[in-house]
Amino acid sequence: SMKLSGALTSADTHVGSYPTVQAVIRFGELLKERTNGKLSVQMYPGGQLGNERDTLEITTFGGLDFNRVNLAPLNSIEPLTIVAALPFLFESTEHMRGALDGPIGDEILASLERHGLIGLCFYDSGARSFYNTRGPIQTPDDMRGLKLRVPGSDLYVAMVNSLGADATPMPLDEVYQSLAQGVIDGAENNWPSFESGRHYEVARYYSLTRHLLAPEVFVMSKISWDKLSSEEQAIVRQSARDSVPYMRQLWDEQVERSRKTVLASGVSVNEVDPALFTDKMTGMWDSFVTTSKQRELVDRMLSMRTGKS
Amino acid sequence: MLDKASDWLIRLGAAGLVIMTAVIGWQVFGRFVLQSSPSWSEQAALLLMIWYVLFAAAAGVREGFHIRIALLEDMSSPAMARRIRMVIHCLVALFGIILFVYGSQLVWLVRDHVIPSLGLSRGFAYIPLPVSGFLMAIFALFHARDEWRGNTTGEDV
Amino acid sequence: MEILVLLGALLLLLLLGVPVAYALLGSALAIFLVIDIPLVVAVQRMAAGISVFTLMAIPFFIFAGDLMYRAGIADRLVQVADAAFGRVRGGLGLVDVGASMMFGAVSGSAIASASAIGSTMVPLMKDKGYPADYAVNVTVTAAVVGLLIPPSHNMIIYAAASGMGVSIGDLFLAGIVPGLLTGLMLMLTTWIVARRRGLPRGIFPGWRKFLRALVYAIPGLMTGVIIMGGILSGIFTPTESSAIAVIYTAIVGALVYRSLGWKGFAEAAQKSVRTASMVLFIIAAATAFGFALALLEVPAQLAALIGLMTDNPILTLLIINIMLLALGTFMDMAPLIVITTPIFLPVAVEVGVDPVHFGIILMLNLGIGLVTPPVGSVLFVGSAVGKTPVPILVKTIWPFYMTLIVALGLISFVPALSLALPQAF
Ligand code: NA
Ligand code: NA
Repeated sequence: SMKLSGALTSADTHVGSYPTVQAVIRFGELLKERTNGKLSVQMYPGGQLGNERDTLEITTFGGLDFNRVNLAPLNSIEPLTIVAALPFLFESTEHMRGALDGPIGDEILASLERHGLIGLCFYDSGARSFYNTRGPIQTPDDMRGLKLRVPGSDLYVAMVNSLGADATPMPLDEVYQSLAQGVIDGAENNWPSFESGRHYEVARYYSLTRHLLAPEVFVMSKISWDKLSSEEQAIVRQSARDSVPYMRQLWDEQVERSRKTVLASGVSVNEVDPALFTDKMTGMWDSFVTTSKQRELVDRMLSMRTGKS
Repeated sequence: MLDKASDWLIRLGAAGLVIMTAVIGWQVFGRFVLQSSPSWSEQAALLLMIWYVLFAAAAGVREGFHIRIALLEDMSSPAMARRIRMVIHCLVALFGIILFVYGSQLVWLVRDHVIPSLGLSRGFAYIPLPVSGFLMAIFALFHARDEWRGNTTGEDV
Repeated sequence: MEILVLLGALLLLLLLGVPVAYALLGSALAIFLVIDIPLVVAVQRMAAGISVFTLMAIPFFIFAGDLMYRAGIADRLVQVADAAFGRVRGGLGLVDVGASMMFGAVSGSAIASASAIGSTMVPLMKDKGYPADYAVNVTVTAAVVGLLIPPSHNMIIYAAASGMGVSIGDLFLAGIVPGLLTGLMLMLTTWIVARRRGLPRGIFPGWRKFLRALVYAIPGLMTGVIIMGGILSGIFTPTESSAIAVIYTAIVGALVYRSLGWKGFAEAAQKSVRTASMVLFIIAAATAFGFALALLEVPAQLAALIGLMTDNPILTLLIINIMLLALGTFMDMAPLIVITTPIFLPVAVEVGVDPVHFGIILMLNLGIGLVTPPVGSVLFVGSAVGKTPVPILVKTIWPFYMTLIVALGLISFVPALSLALPQAF
């Protein structure tokens, strides 16, 4: 698609000011600088080209050059990506970054190539926690009987059901009204999404379970990749990596802003003991970690835990 | 023969609509009464919708129910109008063939992707594209042939 | 250049008489070839365009409406409405506007409203001697009002797209007065047009007959109660309510009125699947077309023009409105909200427009786009359920368009209409 104004195309479902979008724009600037203007990136934010699953498919067809997606849509393409999406696997952001910035992350990114995607880098997605309209969640017992919205993903359904709640798959744009009318009791997400979707206006209890620290992924179409010289490929890889610290800085600022907005509105926020929840996950992990390669990656990730948090 | 095929497409489509009604009804019943939401219902209903819309849309080419603006045809002489209709049928056939060719490619390209909560290949969601495109092309080409022969009633000749 | 290829191909195919869906697909394919996007993407966009949960309201409400018509439920409802409001010329038109406003208000979806009210009211208005084009035009334009009256999921999309911390609560409050105002203006137009065209007027049958009609209509009236009550009490979502409406109507028709058998049910399903696929197939093709428009950055190019043209606030707002109306003729609402909000909102804020106020302007403006050809899904639903071709509808829809445009003007240039309520609470 380089015929279009000479720029490479990139899609994102988040709005233009969102850290992932800004990071890819920064990536494009680095790319332009380092190729003396030969390669640049045209960003299409706000989901205007389709949802993540759809634009991901389009990227594999070579219809888009770059794409920033959550790990979830990759789970239904490549089983190895599931390991980084396991609930309560990462004990902290540092643990997640440490594991994915190194060889484990590289192996996961490399596994995308046979599906027509070049995995370039991981971005932060923060920690997802539960929020609801009923009351604070302290233990899994508090979740019994709650109808909690999940994205259409087997992993999320299994996780929420294992915790004793009723997992309710629902498109994101129906969540606000469903919370307001009581079709569902709650949902789960990170601070920025809890805030930007205005769900905090109706769900007044946010319980910091931090059950998922699954990252965002920045990918390139293999079809577009193969058109680049090996020198250009190296620049693309390096520029993507160089955009990661910038993204994480923006992300931390965004989380802080969202947290302040939510707290200022009077939402009740409580800490929970993750150990009470982790115990319920073992059976669920076993049903998703089925190959020896997956098992090996999980074990390597677990060995990187510090046990401090 | 073609009319029979078209009727069957509509019957299949109607069955799809009725099943979709039951699926969403069950989704509400499961969540509200049984307190246990089915995880498959949303994806199953979406899959059904793609199937029956495309099947019925193919029948629409046979039955000629697709919305169009017939101003030019209305202003033309009968002979000219017939030529215009032939061109339109040929264009519809061409787009049908494109749906068939690229729809088949689409099914093939995503054969390894999984539809979450159903466990089926993503290709299943896209299969009606080539099927419908193929039928659209056939129906449109027969209409074009009928126009060529001067038979505009749409009956089989 | 590419934009000219895209729009030129579309207009050419449409004028030639190629069905709307194929014209949209054909012009999208042409532009994909020009800018070197694999054609498989166009085909995927089509499937993705109808793989949308909220769109299920279209087939379900069309199905429910047809069942109500066949089972005689709708007829009984209209007898009551006719008895109550029939003395006014075009009384059923007024009932239609009121029902569409109420339904649109609760469902938040103009398409769902046009499907539900259109498939019940339009056939009955035709039976009572109203011209089909009038019945459809009243229904589709009134459906737009529901976008302004809360709740409205489009406002939630806008709030997220604005990135400016716009509160949903404020938006919902801000939409109430503009929504009621637009609805009342449409009722006035409905009445004036009815008088001018000499549309039928009913006779009050007397209280005895009226009460009898009311009693017979109770199961039908319950459909509305169940749908609205079910949504408001959190039993189901607005989208799910459409499936519940089908199930409820089928049960009442089969067991209460005993006027609906297997044959009628099967015929209704077959007829509905035709009507729904007619609309959804266009939406599928419009999604491929919209992908091309977005890729060519048509909205951003338009916004860049404004800065060159003027810095006068009133002119800026006027130009934004005209550009949005133009975009709305070619694209559907939700994608346009996410594309145009980040582009036009900063321009509007720059000249002193409040983001909440702009949200209401955007809702009505893009809502008007839903009832304008060549791409207007609400107009297509109306055309399909009313069995009336779009060109015939467009011939007599002008008074209704003008009303919406006047309402848009009022709402754009009198900010207090939108902002008084949110500022008071
Ligand atoms: Na509404
Ligand atoms: Na339009």
